[in-house]
Amino acid sequence: MGAAARYIRPMAILAGAVLALSACGGGAGTAGAGADSTTGGSLTYWSMWKEGEPQQKVIAKAVADFTAQTGTEVKVQWQGRSNTEKLVPALNTNNVPDLVDGPYAKLAPVLGNTGQAAPLTKAYDTTVDGKKVAELIPAKYLATSNIKDKDGKPWMLPYSLSSDGIWFDAATHPELAASPPKTWDDFTSVLDKLKANGETPLAADGDIAGYNSLWFTTALIRAEGPGSFYKLASDKSGAGWDSPAVLAAAKRVEKIVNGGYLINGYAASKWPAQQQLWASGKAALMLNGSWTPTETATYASPGFQYASFPFPTIDGKSTSQRADFVGFAVPAKAKNQNKAQQLATFLLGKKYQDAYGTDAKVLPIRADAAISPEMASVKKALDAAPSVYLQNDGVTYPGFVEKVFWPKDDQLFLGKTSADDFVKQMKDAQIQYWKDNG
Amino acid sequence: MSEVDANAAVDTVLLADGAKPAKAARREAGSSIDRQRKKLLIPFVGPAFILYTILFVVPSLAAVWISFHSWSGSGPMEFVGGENYVRVFKDPLFLKSFGNTLLLLFVVGIAIFVLAFAMSLVLRDMAGRKIVRSVIFFPHLINALVFGVLAGFIFNPGGIVNTLLGPLGVKEPPAWLAQENIFPLIMVTLVATTTGYYTTILMAGVDRIPPYYYEDCALAGATAFQRLRYVILPLTWDVFGTCAVLWTISSVKIFEIIWVFGGSSGAGIPPTQSWTTAVYTYVTAFSGQSTPSYGAATASAVISLALVSVLVVVLRRAMRRDAVEF
Repeated sequence: MGAAARYIRPMAILAGAVLALSACGGGAGTAGAGADSTTGGSLTYWSMWKEGEPQQKVIAKAVADFTAQTGTEVKVQWQGRSNTEKLVPALNTNNVPDLVDGPYAKLAPVLGNTGQAAPLTKAYDTTVDGKKVAELIPAKYLATSNIKDKDGKPWMLPYSLSSDGIWFDAATHPELAASPPKTWDDFTSVLDKLKANGETPLAADGDIAGYNSLWFTTALIRAEGPGSFYKLASDKSGAGWDSPAVLAAAKRVEKIVNGGYLINGYAASKWPAQQQLWASGKAALMLNGSWTPTETATYASPGFQYASFPFPTIDGKSTSQRADFVGFAVPAKAKNQNKAQQLATFLLGKKYQDAYGTDAKVLPIRADAAISPEMASVKKALDAAPSVYLQNDGVTYPGFVEKVFWPKDDQLFLGKTSADDFVKQMKDAQIQYWKDNG
Repeated sequence: MSEVDANAAVDTVLLADGAKPAKAARREAGSSIDRQRKKLLIPFVGPAFILYTILFVVPSLAAVWISFHSWSGSGPMEFVGGENYVRVFKDPLFLKSFGNTLLLLFVVGIAIFVLAFAMSLVLRDMAGRKIVRSVIFFPHLINALVFGVLAGFIFNPGGIVNTLLGPLGVKEPPAWLAQENIFPLIMVTLVATTTGYYTTILMAGVDRIPPYYYEDCALAGATAFQRLRYVILPLTWDVFGTCAVLWTISSVKIFEIIWVFGGSSGAGIPPTQSWTTAVYTYVTAFSGQSTPSYGAATASAVISLALVSVLVVVLRRAMRRDAVEF
C-alpha cells in the first residue's frame, strides 16, 4: 500500500462524513418550494404532542383526513413539549417547519414577541362549517391582544384552551357541587368548616412555582382585573408594589398559608406527591389547571367525580377566567405558509373539536364543541366570564417570571416570608430587574 | 556498506513510490519508525482534529461571539459589548449559582477524594474486594434521573424515611425536601454516587504498587500513616492528579441531577436555591416561560468555561511532581 493510499482512505471517510453532515443541514423541509398551492405538495408540522397521547390521536386523525381531502402530504414529527426549544435554533436556518403548535406561553417568547411568526390572516378568513374562523373562536378570547403582531394581525390560531379552577370530588363533597363558594369570604368559611370537620382543606405541590404563583396572580387579577399583574410587572419604578391592592392580594395568600389549611408537608415534597394525596381523598380542594382530571385519573380513588369551581371573586369584582391558548403558529420563514394555515383551520372543524373535547377530555376552542363531564364546571365558568387572561397574565419578559417573581412568591407561599416583606422584596427586585434589563 | 548508507537504502525502499527524495529523508533525524509516525500524523489526527474543530471549537467561539449580543435565539442580534457579563455578574442569582458550583467542586470533591482514598486503602487487602469494587461502582452506572425520582419516594412527607421514623417516635420529621434542604441532599447524593467511580480509578493506581514496598515498610516498622505518606501517596500521585482534573471538569457541568431533584419531574424548574451555573445557563436560554436571552446565557456558559480552564491549569501546576518510576 502506498503512502498516497494511506492518506486517501481516511480523507475519503472524512469527506463522506462532511457530505453527510451538510446533507442533513439542507435536505428536509424544502419540499414543494415555490409552488405553495392549496392542493397536493407537502408540509412539515412539529407537534407538541407525543405519539399515544389522547390529544395526539385526535390530531393524527385530522391530519390523515386532511391528506385524504387535499392530497397534501403532511410530514408530522411528534416531538413533544420540547418542540419550541428545538424551534429556536431551527429559526436561524432555512430548515424551518411550516407549522408548529404549543401553548401561548411557549410560542409567544420564541415566535410572537420576536417577530418570527407569519400573520395568519388567511386562516382567520377561512370558512369552516359555514362560518368564518374569526367567528368560530369566541370574541373574548381573541380580544386578548397578546396574540397580535406589531401590525395588529394575529399570529396564533388556537385550537384548545387550558384554564384553572379549584378542584374537588363531587362524590364526597356534594354540598360544594350544589353551592360552590362564590366570594373570597365564602371560600375561607368553607376552608374553616372543612378544617373544623377534621379534614385537610387544601392540597398543593409546593415545589411547582407555577402552581404556587396562581394564588397571588389570581387574587390580584380578581381584585384589579385582567392585565393588572402585567401592568405591575411592567412598572419600571416598582411603585406598583406599594399599592394597597397588591398588598391585599399578598395578604390573602398569607392567610391561606398561615390559616393551617394546607396539607402537611406541602413545602417539602416532590410533585406529584400532594396531588396524589388529593386524588385519593386526603385533602378536599386543590387549585390547579384544567388538565387535572386527565393527569390524576390513574391514581384517583374509585368513584372520584371531578368537579371544580372558579377561584372566588374578591369584593364582587372581576369574574374573568384564565384561558391559555394552545394552538398553531406558522414561522415567518416557512415555505408552505398557505398549506400550513389550511391544516391549522382544518382542526377547527366540528368533528375534530368534538373529539378533542370528548376523547382527549380537554377544552376545545370552539364554544359549540362537545366536552366531557369532567370539564363541565370549567367550561361553564369560562362561558360566563366577561373576559379572559393568560397564565402569568401574559408576562414574558426575559427571566422575569422564573428568576424574579417565582423565587420570591415561593417564599411567600411556602411560609418563609410575610406578605409585607414579599411586597417590599418584589419592589426592590423589580427595580433592579428593570435597571439591568430596561 | 556503512551503516548510514544502509539506512538510506532502507529509506529508498520504503519511499519507493516517490513521496520524498532519499536525500531529504536522510537529513531528518530519527529512525524510520519515527518517520512513519510523522507520516501517519495527518491521516490519523486530521479527521479527529477537523471534527473536533467543527463540533466543539467553532461552536465555542460562536458562543463567545453571541455573548456580546442581546439576542433571543432568532431574529435580530444587537451588539451590546460586555454588557451581558456585567449583568450576569450583578445578578445575585448567578452569584448564588456560581457559589453552588464551587461548593460542588470543592466540598463534594474533597469528600469524594477522602472517602475514595480511604476506601481504596481498606479495600486493598480485603477479602472479596472485586465484588465490593463492583458494588461501589454500580451507582455511577445509574442515570442521575433515577436518583432524582427516587428522592421523591424516599423523602416525601409520606415517603420511606418518614414511615421508618414514625415507629421510632419521631413525630415532627425534618422537611427533607424543603427548598433550602434540596442542595445539601444533592451534595450527599453526588458523594454517594461518584465515590465508587474514583475509588475504582485510585485502586488501579494503588494496586500497581509492588508488594515489596509494603514489606519494606513492615520491616522498617513504619506506621500506617507513614506508609501512606511515604509510599502510597507519592506512587499514586499522577493517578490522583488525573482524577482531580476529571472531577473539576465534570463537577462544573453537573446539571441533570439538580434539574430532576427539585420540582421538575416534568412540571417545573428547580428552586433557585439549588441552581448551579449550568442550570442558570439553561434556564436563561430555554426556560420556556419567558423570552429566551441567549446573550446572557452564553455569557454565563463562557464564565463556566473560563472557570474550568483556570482551575485545571492551577490544579495541574499544584499537582505537578516528577512521576516516580517503579
